[in-house]
Amino acid sequence: MLSNRPRILSVGTANPPERYTQEEVLAKYRMPNKMVRSLFKSGHIRTRHLMLPEPDEDGIPRESQSQLLAKHRKGAMMMGKEAIDKALSQLDLTTADIDYLAVISSTGFMLPGLTAMFIKHLGFRIDCSRVDIVGMGCNAGLNGLNPVAAWASANPGKNALMVCCETNSALYVYDEEIGNGVVNSLFGDGCAAVVVRADPMDERYFAPRILGFVSHIIPDTWDAMHYNWRDSHGKFAFNLARDVPYVLGTHAETPVTKLLNTFGLKRRHISHWLVHSGGKKVIDAIKYTVGITEHDVRHTVGVLRDYGNLGSGSFLFSYERLMQEGKVRRGDYGVMMTMGPGSTVETALLRW
Amino acid sequence: MRPLETLTYSESGEVAEIVLNRPRMNMQMVRELTAVCDHLEDTSACKVAVFRGRDGVFSEGIDFEEFRPDQGMDIHGFNKWEKLCVRIERLPKVTIAAIDGVVRGGGVQLALVCDARLATSSSTMQLDEVHQGFLPGMATFRLGKYVGLGNAKRLIMQCPIIDADEACALGILDEVCDDLDIAVGATIAAFGPIHTVSVALARRLLNESYAAPFEHAIGNFLAAQHRAITQSAFLDTIAKARESDT
Repeated sequence: MLSNRPRILSVGTANPPERYTQEEVLAKYRMPNKMVRSLFKSGHIRTRHLMLPEPDEDGIPRESQSQLLAKHRKGAMMMGKEAIDKALSQLDLTTADIDYLAVISSTGFMLPGLTAMFIKHLGFRIDCSRVDIVGMGCNAGLNGLNPVAAWASANPGKNALMVCCETNSALYVYDEEIGNGVVNSLFGDGCAAVVVRADPMDERYFAPRILGFVSHIIPDTWDAMHYNWRDSHGKFAFNLARDVPYVLGTHAETPVTKLLNTFGLKRRHISHWLVHSGGKKVIDAIKYTVGITEHDVRHTVGVLRDYGNLGSGSFLFSYERLMQEGKVRRGDYGVMMTMGPGSTVETALLRW
Repeated sequence: MRPLETLTYSESGEVAEIVLNRPRMNMQMVRELTAVCDHLEDTSACKVAVFRGRDGVFSEGIDFEEFRPDQGMDIHGFNKWEKLCVRIERLPKVTIAAIDGVVRGGGVQLALVCDARLATSSSTMQLDEVHQGFLPGMATFRLGKYVGLGNAKRLIMQCPIIDADEACALGILDEVCDDLDIAVGATIAAFGPIHTVSVALARRLLNESYAAPFEHAIGNFLAAQHRAITQSAFLDTIAKARESDT
């Protein structure tokens, strides 16, 4: 039965070419607030890829909501093309071979959406089925992978492509508020694409099967992370409540236990943990509540250090590093875990 | 649990007891100890696990019988042993090494991963590996935390046999006693009330304390503390404190 489960056959990632250290971002703009400056200097993030505007003469960058939306489209197009090319070329596929396209993004609202834009510009067939998952935040990669895997299961042999496309610098708001300082010091731009297919007979690829998903939402904290219109700014702004990383960590144990119990597994049977690089605190919290080690989160920590929080595709950057590391063995189990607004913890079980 | 040969396992109330039946550790004992860890993690409702030896020996360390130099030497068995030590070190139970007699080599390593170490006054302790041409496992990592680097160098590189009083003075043993059963009972009582979550979190932070830089440790502590204060044990403490205030 499990041999019919869809597999993640390849992964491709992309970022904008411009890369900044935290010090370089601080130097680029006038940011006198000491609290905000200390957020940049906390040391958990070294570099991020960002599409940053030039500041005005007073050192403040000014982007209107329409400029931010244009950046969202431009970033998605540029990074999306590169990540998709990388994921497909490993399998000798082209966009014309894709039968189902899912694009996940929370960094701008578009109608028509990113799937329509990719089909228009990147050579997908006009009968490619598609879905846009918009506005679900950092956890959305697994909210997307769930229907992608279901579609692949229902259509064996056909290619599904999921693209997590986040131009987080299109969410940036510059002011002296700590909340925006957190956002501006944490999020980076990045895109990850994965090809998913269910083809039981195909043993050409060393690829994990997706065995199942467990979701978990904490309705009491539904406004702990929110992105709302701000009249005072004339644009949307993101806000994170203070204790939310620890609250998410505390709740992460529930879906993980449920996921493992479903398959009769214990924590010690899981060789690989692919946790969303949400930030230092939430990673720490998950270590101590789920009971996993610094080694288990090495890619999560490394992706955070090198890219910042990349939103929905972040865990796929960790997945790419895990596969490149070459330590995964046939039969190994892995857990994917993403956390985000809702507040939400999403989990998936993999087996190589 | 499958039948055990190298160990005798029993449970009495909240206490599980694991008796090492053979003086030297072989791979079968490593496998059986691993199975006991599975049982303690998955099934057992016990809150305490006590490790003991028998017939005047806690353990004399690794059994050389299974080595076959003519077939090549490999590190696999040592890796299994270290994984077992980490399993025991992280068991969701309070772990106690109850030593009566000789403890040497791997036996000392086993004692070092336990939360408490007790011995009768006639017991002796030795890490003899270096004199035999190999290494005392990750005691090279753990011992210094108990005794300081200078003492660890002496104990590991000069391989002296030390008596229980010296081991206690160095901080390897918590207590030297005449009656081991009484001492074990008193130690278990001292650990109570055992809240498994706060015990496991405190032990993990302590084990990590010498290896992690402060900036990491403080983040780890805050995460662990958030977990602890959202558990029923601490919430009960708060409720009781409030009752007594009013």
